Amino acid sequence: MSTALEKFKKYRKPGYYDKFDYHWTMSIDLDRCTGCEACVVACQAENNLPIVGEQQFAMRREIKWIRIERYWEGEYPDIKLQFIPMLCQHCDQAPCEIACPVFATYHNQDGLNTQVYNRCIGTRTCAVYCPYEVRFFNWFTYEWDEPLEQQLNPDVTVREKGVMEKCTFCIQRIRQAKDAAKDDSRRRVRDGEIKPACVQSCPTEAMVFGDLNDPDSQVSKMARNPRGYHVLEELNTTPSIVYLKRVHTDG
Amino acid sequence: MADYVEPTYAEVNQDVLRAMMETGPKYWATLGTSIAVAGICFFIPWFYQLEVGVGVAGMNRSAVWGTYLSNFIFWIGLSHSGTLLSAVLHITNSSWRKAIYRSAEAMTLFSLITAALFVMVHLGRVWFVHWTVPVPNQMGLWPNFRSPLMFDVMAITTYLTASSIFIYMGSVPDFAAVRDASTGLRRKLYTIFSFGWRGTAKEWHTLGWAYTFFAVLVIPLAVSVHSIVSWDFALSLVPGLHHTVFAPYFVTGAIFSGTAGIVTVMFLLRKYMNFERYIREIHLVNLGKLLVLLSLIWTYINIMEVFTTWFSGSSYELEALEWRLTGFYAPMFWEMVLFCAVVPLLILFKRIRTSWRSMLIISILINIGMISERFIIVATSQPRKFLPNAFGFYFPSAIEISITIGSFAVFTTLFLIFVKWVPAVSLYEVKETLKPLRRSR
Amino acid sequence: MSNKINRRDFLKFVGAGTLGAGAGFLAADASKMTTEFLIPQVNLPEDYSPGIATWYHTVCTQCSAGCGISVRTREGRAKKIEGNPSHPVNQGRLCALGQAGLNVLYNPDRIKTPLLRDGERGSGSFSPISWDQALTTISGVLGTLKIQKKANNAYLLSGGVNGHLHELFALFMDQLGSKNYLQHEFSHPASLYAANKACFDEDVLPYYDIRNSKYLLSFGADYLGAWLSPVHHSVSYGHLRQGTEQRGRCVQVEARMSLSGANADEWIAARPGSEGMLALAMAHSIVEQGLYAGADAGDWKQALGAYSPASVAERSGISADRIVRIATEFAAASPSLAIGGGAAGASTNGTANLVAVNVLNYIGGNIGEAGGILFNPASTFSIDAPRPRASYQQMLKLFASLRGNDAEVLILHDTNPVFTLPAAANVKEAVMAVPYVIGMSSFMDETMALADIILPLDTYLEAWGDNIPDPGVGFAVASIAQPVVKRLYDTRSAGDIILALAHQIGGELPANMPWTSMENYLMEMWRSVYRGKSDDSSDQGFRKFWTSILESGVWGESPQQQDRPHQAMGRAMLSAVGMAQPSFAGNESEYRFVMQPYLSLAFHDGRGANLPWMQELPDPLTSIVYNSWVELNPKTAAELAIGEGDVLLVESTVGRFEAPAFIYEAIRPDVVAMPIGQGHGNYGRYASGRGSNPIEILAPETDSGSGGLAWSATRVKISKTGRRVHVIKTDGTTRDLGRNILGQKDGHA
Repeated sequence: MSTALEKFKKYRKPGYYDKFDYHWTMSIDLDRCTGCEACVVACQAENNLPIVGEQQFAMRREIKWIRIERYWEGEYPDIKLQFIPMLCQHCDQAPCEIACPVFATYHNQDGLNTQVYNRCIGTRTCAVYCPYEVRFFNWFTYEWDEPLEQQLNPDVTVREKGVMEKCTFCIQRIRQAKDAAKDDSRRRVRDGEIKPACVQSCPTEAMVFGDLNDPDSQVSKMARNPRGYHVLEELNTTPSIVYLKRVHTDG
Repeated sequence: MADYVEPTYAEVNQDVLRAMMETGPKYWATLGTSIAVAGICFFIPWFYQLEVGVGVAGMNRSAVWGTYLSNFIFWIGLSHSGTLLSAVLHITNSSWRKAIYRSAEAMTLFSLITAALFVMVHLGRVWFVHWTVPVPNQMGLWPNFRSPLMFDVMAITTYLTASSIFIYMGSVPDFAAVRDASTGLRRKLYTIFSFGWRGTAKEWHTLGWAYTFFAVLVIPLAVSVHSIVSWDFALSLVPGLHHTVFAPYFVTGAIFSGTAGIVTVMFLLRKYMNFERYIREIHLVNLGKLLVLLSLIWTYINIMEVFTTWFSGSSYELEALEWRLTGFYAPMFWEMVLFCAVVPLLILFKRIRTSWRSMLIISILINIGMISERFIIVATSQPRKFLPNAFGFYFPSAIEISITIGSFAVFTTLFLIFVKWVPAVSLYEVKETLKPLRRSR
Repeated sequence: MSNKINRRDFLKFVGAGTLGAGAGFLAADASKMTTEFLIPQVNLPEDYSPGIATWYHTVCTQCSAGCGISVRTREGRAKKIEGNPSHPVNQGRLCALGQAGLNVLYNPDRIKTPLLRDGERGSGSFSPISWDQALTTISGVLGTLKIQKKANNAYLLSGGVNGHLHELFALFMDQLGSKNYLQHEFSHPASLYAANKACFDEDVLPYYDIRNSKYLLSFGADYLGAWLSPVHHSVSYGHLRQGTEQRGRCVQVEARMSLSGANADEWIAARPGSEGMLALAMAHSIVEQGLYAGADAGDWKQALGAYSPASVAERSGISADRIVRIATEFAAASPSLAIGGGAAGASTNGTANLVAVNVLNYIGGNIGEAGGILFNPASTFSIDAPRPRASYQQMLKLFASLRGNDAEVLILHDTNPVFTLPAAANVKEAVMAVPYVIGMSSFMDETMALADIILPLDTYLEAWGDNIPDPGVGFAVASIAQPVVKRLYDTRSAGDIILALAHQIGGELPANMPWTSMENYLMEMWRSVYRGKSDDSSDQGFRKFWTSILESGVWGESPQQQDRPHQAMGRAMLSAVGMAQPSFAGNESEYRFVMQPYLSLAFHDGRGANLPWMQELPDPLTSIVYNSWVELNPKTAAELAIGEGDVLLVESTVGRFEAPAFIYEAIRPDVVAMPIGQGHGNYGRYASGRGSNPIEILAPETDSGSGGLAWSATRVKISKTGRRVHVIKTDGTTRDLGRNILGQKDGHA
């Protein structure tokens, strides 16, 4: 009994991925990010995000797994604008995960907060519980004007109406890299081998993706940067995205 | 009350059973209208939504919950008083309950059904709703018992089951009375319904014991159901929802709204089913007193909610509070305060609490206020959570409003069908309150 | 001269180009009719295996930067566009518009067959015809002109074509006997070329080494958004900020905060057109403080005498102290770099502004230094003819001759001057005046609708071509564009069409243009490059070279840095310095605001408006989608009682349009800005009928130094129409409400 309890406790402890192979983490350097939105389109292309149309956009029903938020500070002429890319934080203590009555969203052993489209019944509770507002509901079954559907990525499903969706850290790319590593008889994926679409496209290399369990990985180094912080840290969701705050040198 | 003449046993049977068995054109017209409204306003829009997607409602990214969910809470709330009140009063031996409890319990049942319908309407993929039920399956998948929604499924199904049994059990002797008073098919049917009730002392004893047992069981259930519904909200991190006071807040609100609902239903039964002799001023006055008490508790909890929010000093909570008190939906908030905290105080005046008409108006106003409360909880907190850049706005669409209106017709339809199948006033319990020696006039 | 540009990286990249596969089969394949198989063929094409992605390298043409791209294809369909890691311009990265190239390829509104006008000219009514019919008709018309020795009455107006397609156009027009070949692109920075010509005597742009700079002072150049080569600049910017121990500082001088302004450490809202004066005032301050040690310091002191910070302060709206401070910082930082462009180059004194920026660089000692301005080597490539990129005045001249009696034929290739030139230029009327207009484009647009016959083009993902990035990256680079998928429709590439026409026209053309296809032409041209560079002249050797270029997507050469004599340069600049006050169309009392249109990140000059991904891409600064808007300072808006979404009537001296207002926090109160790109009348389902086009109402002011359109020299007045629309945007509240979202505050919210 005591061992079972210990096991359970260990399982519940944040960072329990230690016993597994990876703890996928992303760092976003706000000092590099220019808000150019390349990542937004990269994600749209990679993950078959629908084109919702003007009317749906007007109702705030856009589906953008990654978006750029902007915050102004000051008044003209001493005014500053800051960008911050916002995407699923893959929280270790994810509020959305307790919300789902059917386990359509859960934490996998690699530290990913996954969304199982097939299992989702559309209670939308996860979206209410998510403090980062990065969960997107399919209000309709969206369609592509022919022949735009030929672009759809065959590695990613197209979601139907009534299903919640969100950033997956490009799990299809993670899978592919893991398979490739296995084919090469490597135990682990090499650092930098996996780049989610947003990370790949980022012109300023503001985003870094990798395994936090590997202390030498680039992302681990970024995570140790003194500029690092988590958005809404006080909510104790322990996100897997480390932001590096922008440097302000007021001259 | 000087001119009040107590009915005889026979008259009780006559009055109540007549209301059940004799159906006039007025009833058919009401039922027809009610079914038509339910169909046009509720079911057709719902089927359209099933076909096209939940997008026909006005919900959007930050406000993914809308009127469907606020109506769900409202109907769950409305369900509260019936069974709970009946059970509490039964245990405390308050004899004034006896004329009203049957219809109150029916109200519970039908509001629960309406609430369950709203869950269906709310879901994105309702055709998979059975996945919330813990049934062993080939995929080895189970529902998530950590989810407050799962608690909900459990609580509501339990409550629905318990309430159904409670109301059915209490009706068994009356079903026997119907059986005895009728012929033909109806007699056969009610023979089955009444489980062969003969009215022996042993049967009465068993019924009494079982009824009390269920009454005791139902009370914590009723409290737990709405506590659990409140956890759907309170277990989130959302500013304005993440409050420990939510469980008592919801339970109080629920009983409050349910009691007001009973007053409304009582008025209608009395007026249209000619139950003046059974549903009397004492009921009205007692329920009125209860309403004042509940209103005061409700007001206190509301003040506490605002106070703790302010006391937290957290930017998230304060912003949410400010938006609630002064934002777009502020008029609705203040309307709620007026209807639920101020108007019920009028009941303190005797002239008002003894007037059926003024009590009807107050009871309806209270429920309008309670609908607003639920809507405000849902609509003002979600669109303004943590990231200001993602702040949004929610306004219900025509379809949502239509379905909301239609739900009242669904409830009315169910109730209208009920009064023709089950004696709306408990025959045997009313008889218990009568002076035993009077046989006939 | 030192050069630390990522040459080493680049060579590494080229050597290690591993992605991609040979694509020779594609050309043969592409000429066949498309057949679809439910079950894949037993003998699959060489690189076709179901479930396995194949990557092809090609070149992006969504703007003129020339980024190398890798297109991921699966089962013969293009799935994703990413940057080519071997390409020195974008180094594996790609902007939003570039990635939306898939929307170009799979756009539902593409022209699918050759079209012949069947209604009134300009009515937009066409009926499909066959290629044979189309080419016979066109070659008949051109051949007749040639026989009649009237070929000079044929005109070719192309979009910004680069590489050998341009050479082929030039050759074709030359062989035909016409000298009328022009390229038009709205974003062509004519003033920048003119300024660099005046200062450095260079025809190509220099390399702005942002990467290694420690102080980047930009005068109006939105280098992260739409200026020259934004992806390359962004890669460099990332390095400047966090690539080294010492973080580089960025300062942006502009009247309306652009994306680069938002990312700068300091944003200086100078009066439009005063940028050059500011640069000279800074130069003045540097010289005065004795921070310039050059031998010609005395000359400069004299030349800059009129531009003391105090005197410029009033004209620019920037305090003298601030000018001096920036100047001191600029001189102290090493290396520092000043760049100029955008609105600064688009006032009536645009060229002078940009010359002034060069002067500042000269005084700051940044020319020829890593982290400053470096010079691209003279082209080692076989492109001979300079690209005939037309300034606004040249365009006006073209239109004048089109209106004249002699003009017979106008060939339009992939350009939309009706949209990208002011209504005052009367483009439509000029095109309509030509008896026969041939259009070549993938999409119907406002200009193509005026054609008599339209030849549908392959998109850039279906065609062969090559590209020499301009601006260059400090060393010789070229890349080949290859088809990544079979063509979707019955379309052809512009090169193939030109070659087919040459064959059909006859005369000496077939002999002088003997190539069978664009691919064949390209290979022959590259063979000559190869011969010039290698001793091995065997076909096998060339094949290997060719395949390796297709595999890596890029060809490059180690830099042969050329020193520029500083003294001569200084003398050239001394003589070029001279600031005129900017002038604006419209008097200030009636037309209160200077209107600054700007290139939108999503639509560039409007070409991206038919891409649904771009329509749905929130603007980086305002988050608005699906419409156009007029940006106003909050003070101005309050004064005029204008709220977000109020539809405004914007009037210049020459035109007017309506657009909703947007309160933009970082714009001068005397300036209004508006993105270019929307306002299409006839550009497919996603673009048509949305918003308005600010170019339309620009007054025909030009930059006196280059003849380029001074698109920042129009004054407008605005008034409310009384209507109000919902501005569709993703932003809720754009203030952080004291919450610690950006990590800048200590403790919790």
